[in-house]
Amino acid sequence: MSDAITIALGRRYRFAASHRLHSEKLSDPENYRVYGKCNNPYGHGHNYVVEISVSGKVDPETGMIVNLTDLDGYVEREVIEAFDHKSLNEEVEVFRDRVPTTENLCIEIFRRLKKFPLASLERVRVEETSNNAFEYAGEEIQDRRGVQ
Amino acid sequence: MVYLTRKIEFSASHVYHNPALSAEENKRIFGKCNNPHGHGHNYTLEVTVAGEPDPVTGMVLDLKELKEILEREITQRMDHRFLNYEVPELKGQIPTCENIARVIWNLLEPRITQGRLHKVRLYETPDLFAECYRNGATHA
Repeated sequence: MSDAITIALGRRYRFAASHRLHSEKLSDPENYRVYGKCNNPYGHGHNYVVEISVSGKVDPETGMIVNLTDLDGYVEREVIEAFDHKSLNEEVEVFRDRVPTTENLCIEIFRRLKKFPLASLERVRVEETSNNAFEYAGEEIQDRRGVQ
Repeated sequence: MVYLTRKIEFSASHVYHNPALSAEENKRIFGKCNNPHGHGHNYTLEVTVAGEPDPVTGMVLDLKELKEILEREITQRMDHRFLNYEVPELKGQIPTCENIARVIWNLLEPRITQGRLHKVRLYETPDLFAECYRNGATHA
């Protein structure tokens, strides 16, 4: 084999949450023009799917980059419990002054999971509906740990 | 550069057990995947090849040829097999999604001669997959 390769593990999670797209920097008519029905003052909800991938060395003893129990537990605590069946605008601190678009949600989930200590976060993909998906891989060049 | 992806499915069984560990440790680390009789999955494999379309044929590579490579190298080797006992490339390894994906990469990489193998993604279930790509490769 000529080149070293990266091996990553991908996992999909789900949560349901409500949001309202509304920017304090815009007037009411502008908000309505930009966000359309997503600007409805009472908000609306989605079943979100979060797909993450983490890379790292495959432990020869276990054959795993990371034990799924550890990964699932971390995502459950940091993301699912924080967002599931919540109003993103009202109940997630960062969205008090940031519009909870799925772009911003993707970045926030990446920020939370980047701290996972047992593997290196490569990418976060958030599907807002089965027709809309957003991906974020951070702004810096990732620390890609190669394995043979 | 154009990225072309072909998908195949195969079904196989496996068990996670490391003989160097005690029965209790195996149970603790691998949980129900340590059940000695094994269990199975319907795996889905996505293989992505990168290349420039040939000016004459308009193809990165002939899909029929890729289909035959996948049939020969992967389906015949892994479909309806017990991965621990019947796939020599996995001998001595725990047949996790990560290790199977790496074996698949190593089997396919030298066989893809038109274009270049870019990525393999192996789904064990719709919510769990492993992928292999060259270090630093951008995702497609």
